[in-house]
Amino acid sequence: MLIVDPIGTSAARALTLAGRPRSLEGVTIALLDNSKPNAGVLLERVGALLAARVGARAVRAWGKPGASTGAAPAVLEEIAATARVALTASAD
Amino acid sequence: MACVVLGTDEFLPLARAQLTARGLSSLPVVTVPHPLGGIPVSVAAAKAEPILDDVLRALTTDAAGIADGAGTGAGEIDAPDDLDGFQAWLMERGWGDGLPAIPPTRARVVAMVGGTRRKPDEVVAILVPRLGRATVEAIAANAVMAGALPEHLPVILAAVEAVADPSFNLQAVQTTTHPCSPLVIVNGPIAKRLGINAAGNAFGQGTRANAVIGRALRLTLQNVGGARPGQEDRATQGHPGKYAYCVAENESASPWEPLSVERGFRGEDSTVTVCGSEGPHNINDHGSSTAEGIVATVAGTAAIAGSNNIYLGGEPLVVLGPEHAATVASSGWSKNDFKRALWERASVPLGRLSPENIERFATVYPKGFKDRPAATLAPIARDWRDVMVIVAGGAGKHSVYIPTFGSTRSVTRRITD
Repeated sequence: MLIVDPIGTSAARALTLAGRPRSLEGVTIALLDNSKPNAGVLLERVGALLAARVGARAVRAWGKPGASTGAAPAVLEEIAATARVALTASAD
Repeated sequence: MACVVLGTDEFLPLARAQLTARGLSSLPVVTVPHPLGGIPVSVAAAKAEPILDDVLRALTTDAAGIADGAGTGAGEIDAPDDLDGFQAWLMERGWGDGLPAIPPTRARVVAMVGGTRRKPDEVVAILVPRLGRATVEAIAANAVMAGALPEHLPVILAAVEAVADPSFNLQAVQTTTHPCSPLVIVNGPIAKRLGINAAGNAFGQGTRANAVIGRALRLTLQNVGGARPGQEDRATQGHPGKYAYCVAENESASPWEPLSVERGFRGEDSTVTVCGSEGPHNINDHGSSTAEGIVATVAGTAAIAGSNNIYLGGEPLVVLGPEHAATVASSGWSKNDFKRALWERASVPLGRLSPENIERFATVYPKGFKDRPAATLAPIARDWRDVMVIVAGGAGKHSVYIPTFGSTRSVTRRITD
């Protein structure tokens, strides 16, 4: 039998990802903490190890107001203006 | 800017679904073994080194183009003819809730859409995390599966509209580990007309309208919204109200104005209010004969250390049984008197919380938890006006307390034809 599709269509649109740098030497690495427990610990450790290995210029951290809310647009703009690459976190 | 997402392996399905819905399905995700929370900092930090090569590769290698699954727009799908085969087929696709479902054939969906004046292709809401287009027809298909009748559809449509209001924070309610689900509270004349139970066993089994309205909303959220249990819906335990969670306020047994009137609607309006709610917890008080007595028992039940409302705020709900409500009103108390008195009495001393939890709560709500003495009281809501009170149930000396997800606000919408 034919049934009506119970999931319907999605409004999602495919976006193009930013190009990746060949090397991270001299770049600023951004960390965006999703405020889940220990997310900042993992991000900072990965950021520090990565910076030491590739010779990054700096590692800078930003946060979200809470795990269940998105980052403020101003924070995203500041990250985009400051850093070449970013590490962020999802869920737990 | 090049970005990579870090997470734990348990939550990869949610991260992937999220990225797909946002049109970023080729954005790299690097995972560490679950968990990250609730472990010593040194153990969490030690999870960094093993993923370093993957992170570096993800930041410096252009991702291969992966097609986004931006909805198929299938319209109609071929399903097994026999009812038993249909159930198995539905579950294999992740479109069922475990209970038998009615096949949403074109004829049944057309009849269901006849329950509203709205056009079948009208988009009622965009539902996250999938960004699914909740058209009248797609909602109707789920309503058919849930066993609803066309007369139930206007309530279901209003509930879908309500959960999509930004203040409800559907993204978090759909994907959190917390056990919450939209509770649908119906006010106004439609509740009686549809036979939505507001009296004895109002949260229990036995009334078709409550069951099918709640279930239709759940199936719509799961299917159109794309919150599949164990995939994008990350509930650690969930609760039984996730099958169906719908109740009417017992307006005729309430000494006070109904919830809808509190919110500025007229008594003759029919409304739905959705709350991101936990399951109901009983409040037994067979002894008290005054408002002070009842509020003491309710406060003692509501002040619990493990509630999201303690540190996230939000709007916990008290459902007073008609006999408790009558006792409170007989002391001359208004509904607001009761809310204020409850808020003043229902709080958790910080000494009952673990130091680690207080430290965590302090980052979320410094005003309530940062550098505060152990005797400090954490109330069940940020403000007494945030405490919600309705009257429902039948004969008996019981009420229920229903905490919420916290980072969510209840939303009320008028039900229209």
